[in-house]
Amino acid sequence: MNRNLFLKELRRNALSLIVWMIVITLFISVTMAVYPVFVENQSKIIGMMSLIPGELLQFKGISNFNDFLSVLGFYAVNNIIYMMVLGSIYAIVLSSGILLKEEYNKTAEYLLTRPLTRSEIFVSKLAVLTLNVFLLNLVTALAGFISLELFKNGPFSIRAFLILSLYTLLLNILFGAIGLFLSTLVKRAKPITTFSIGLVLIFYFIFTLSKITEGIAKIGYLSPFRYVNTDATNPAYTIDFWHLLYFIGISLLLTVLSYRLYNRKDIYI
Amino acid sequence: MKTPIIDITDLSKFYGKARGIEHVNLEIGEGEIFGFIGPNGAGKSTTIRILMNMIFPTGGSARIMGMDVIRETKKIKSQVGYIPSDASAYFSMDVHEFLSYCIRFYQVQNGEQRIAELSGMFELDLNRKIADLSMGNRKKVSIVQSLLHSPKLLILDEPTTGLDPLMQSVFFELLRSENQKGMTIFFSSHILGEVQMLCKRVAIIKEGKIIQVEDIETLRKKQLKKVYIEFEDQVGKENFSIPGSESVITGSGNILSFMYSGNINELVSMLSGNKITNLMIEEPSLDEIFMHYYKL
Repeated sequence: MNRNLFLKELRRNALSLIVWMIVITLFISVTMAVYPVFVENQSKIIGMMSLIPGELLQFKGISNFNDFLSVLGFYAVNNIIYMMVLGSIYAIVLSSGILLKEEYNKTAEYLLTRPLTRSEIFVSKLAVLTLNVFLLNLVTALAGFISLELFKNGPFSIRAFLILSLYTLLLNILFGAIGLFLSTLVKRAKPITTFSIGLVLIFYFIFTLSKITEGIAKIGYLSPFRYVNTDATNPAYTIDFWHLLYFIGISLLLTVLSYRLYNRKDIYI
Repeated sequence: MKTPIIDITDLSKFYGKARGIEHVNLEIGEGEIFGFIGPNGAGKSTTIRILMNMIFPTGGSARIMGMDVIRETKKIKSQVGYIPSDASAYFSMDVHEFLSYCIRFYQVQNGEQRIAELSGMFELDLNRKIADLSMGNRKKVSIVQSLLHSPKLLILDEPTTGLDPLMQSVFFELLRSENQKGMTIFFSSHILGEVQMLCKRVAIIKEGKIIQVEDIETLRKKQLKKVYIEFEDQVGKENFSIPGSESVITGSGNILSFMYSGNINELVSMLSGNKITNLMIEEPSLDEIFMHYYKL
């Protein structure tokens, strides 16, 4: 890894990281601030929700009203979408641009003519990507934890909260690896930001659609969201070994493939 | 020639089926100022990008200072400066920030002093954002960053685009002075005039192939003559054939002008049967010689 490049990349991406942190934290805080009102009016809300078709509740990730009324259940259903979808969008936008930006901004000619190997460039940028995704998850999880503590009406499982946060981190890292891989496949320098964001949304759409439509339930397995367990109020809630293997395995595979492709890639300006 | 600082052997690059360069062979000696000339799309940038390991060759090999450009790229780049044809840079940075970032990649003593010295020479405002600079000023930044670490070899790809004549002359003066201190310069351009001003040897590249490697002076002294004939009557190139004449151009109906590489006596005796009102035989300019090679 090259320290000079690492620090420059860190500075270059700092502002966008801070903005994303603020946005997601705000979403979480505002949503959690509604929870006490929600609990106060739970009988009315349960009555109202009983009118909603089961498929639509499934779509929102609600399988049990009582779980939904606990603070962690409320957090898992309402906030995890911000952290998972928005966090994944952040990760894929950052990763798909971190190498490619040098090409379409025409700065690759400066970077690639420094005394650096391709491996050093790749590793330095990967380190920034991993650190930024980790920091975003750390800050937003912290905001989530503070919100839970502030608005809780009873105890909640910190273990379950940590597992939920770990799932979010793994999902974000996987999308980071997908973005990195896609960027190394691009032959002629052009941004793939829109495509990358679209990919996250498509995966999320496939996942939610597969949950409410029995006939296409199996298609849901194509989406990384399918391997995230948000059933945090379940007493047996734990991290599934095969899901863990899926996230780590695919992320590592895509990263190694990206590394190999980048090392042999023709960089056109 | 001294030990080649750049040694290119049978180098080829194809973009799918499209030709980049084909079987390029080139040796550039240490301490040379070498011109690499050809029009856009001839393969100049492709060759340079292979040397700088931005793209990979499909055949052949290239070595700089005896080191392979792929395997030993890091070592090579610590001793090479490069000016790209496009003067883009990190637009969010100011000039000083960018130059400091560049210099930190090298082991340079008194880096700040070097930045001040070079940017002073080109009258660069270090506090300005790169995004706010004109094309010419961005080019100056590009020139300065290439020289910060006092490289042994400087590779220039169309370096003068956007520079005003005054700055061009400062730049050329600097290149000559660095060359005298031992720096080798590989100067790629499509403008023969500037290559002529600076370089001692030149390679002409056409459609991906080197068609001529020659000393500038030898190129000048080739037997080529520029011939201009004004006839009394109309004449056309199709019915006027002189062995040794090439690049025939007709002016108005009674004028012929061409490059001639044969014996002048034979030419004069051939013309003796015609009614001629004016005849000029002169040394062609380097541009005309270049165009001549190019049309072959």
